[in-house]
Amino acid sequence: MSTKKILFKSSDGHLFEADEAVARQSTTISHPLEDCCAKADDEFLLPNVSGNILSLVIEYCKKHADVGSISEEDLKKWDAEFVLGMDQPTFFDLIRASNYQNIPSLIALTCQTIANMIADPNEIRATFEIKNDFTPEEEEKGHVTPVKSR
Amino acid sequence: MLKIEERIVMLPEACVANILSFTTPADTFSSASVSSVFRVAGDSDFVWEKFLPSDYSRLISTSTHKSFSSKKELYRCLCESILIDNGRKIFKIEKLTGKISYVLSARDISITWSDQRHYWCWSHRSDSRFSEGARLIMTDWLEIIGKIQSGVLSPSTSYGAYLVMKVTERAYGLDLVPAETWLKVGNGEKKTKTSYLSCLGNKKQQMAKKDEIFGYYRREPEMREDGWMEIELGEFETGREGNEEVVMSLTEVRGYQLKGGIVLDGIEVRPKPQKLSC
Repeated sequence: MSTKKILFKSSDGHLFEADEAVARQSTTISHPLEDCCAKADDEFLLPNVSGNILSLVIEYCKKHADVGSISEEDLKKWDAEFVLGMDQPTFFDLIRASNYQNIPSLIALTCQTIANMIADPNEIRATFEIKNDFTPEEEEKGHVTPVKSR
Repeated sequence: MLKIEERIVMLPEACVANILSFTTPADTFSSASVSSVFRVAGDSDFVWEKFLPSDYSRLISTSTHKSFSSKKELYRCLCESILIDNGRKIFKIEKLTGKISYVLSARDISITWSDQRHYWCWSHRSDSRFSEGARLIMTDWLEIIGKIQSGVLSPSTSYGAYLVMKVTERAYGLDLVPAETWLKVGNGEKKTKTSYLSCLGNKKQQMAKKDEIFGYYRREPEMREDGWMEIELGEFETGREGNEEVVMSLTEVRGYQLKGGIVLDGIEVRPKPQKLSC
């Protein structure tokens, strides 16, 4: 089976190349390829993803495309290290990119990482520096007693 | 260069919804007060679809409730419990964890000789959500068996099975010999215990205390919040996947004593409280 190469262009004009198997992990890529409205030689323009983030996405997809060569446990370890130490802006851009390109396993990895940090509203606000945009009346109306589930 | 705060507030609702879908119902309820993006995401059908049991459309099709304005509303409704399977079962989810529990009605379980008018009486009860309960008039052969498929329950969960019953004022013969309770999953081992069918009166309790000193523990029905009593039939764990038949039973067929005066509501299968890890 020939390994076709797919070309990607990021929002800041960088060109990236990846094997078809790697690219197919994103359904926003694999669907057009299957529907024959795109050919392997075409450039996929990704105006919502910068070169920096796209290279991370491709790195992730490359690792996950080669399922036979690595054990599940080692893959999980790699995933954990992949996200560890990533700064917040990069991490959040990665979430957006994985949603936009619809890569189920990367969405799961990034969202699960943040989900594990969610505890109570004040902690969430502090961790992610989110502004409380409720008015006092709104807050009163929607007040829910925080509960620790773990 | 964007500040961190600005980046985060700009996170699209779909991303926040994705994150919440990896948490628990409890976390989603409580994170609604973080900011309006969290509240809107936390109300979305996408999130609650993940928390609902996978076969929820089949479940609601067999119940009296038909339409819901959102998946969150459906979830809340299931937390209140619904009658399904033409009124033969009650289905419920625990609000904070999303874990499933069932109550099998007396009609949904097997009660030997319950079709005999001289032995068992079926009637409507005002203290039950089911249309009928079974009252024991008289028998020397008490054999109650309930079955449920582990696949309809929540995966990776510890469950307990309980016989929901009451003892009437004119009960007799329940105190003499303890009944056997047992539970079996698939081809696994049958786990057996014993339990008395009624609680001791005050005078007898004082005599039983003497037995406690010698290590004999008398299992009895325990009071429930809904006014009924329950006897634990056994416990089991559901795996991450798989679908095995769970058989739960209470039998008293060795004493040959005539007994009467118990009322059966059904068998409840519910998650056991999670043990806190140190």
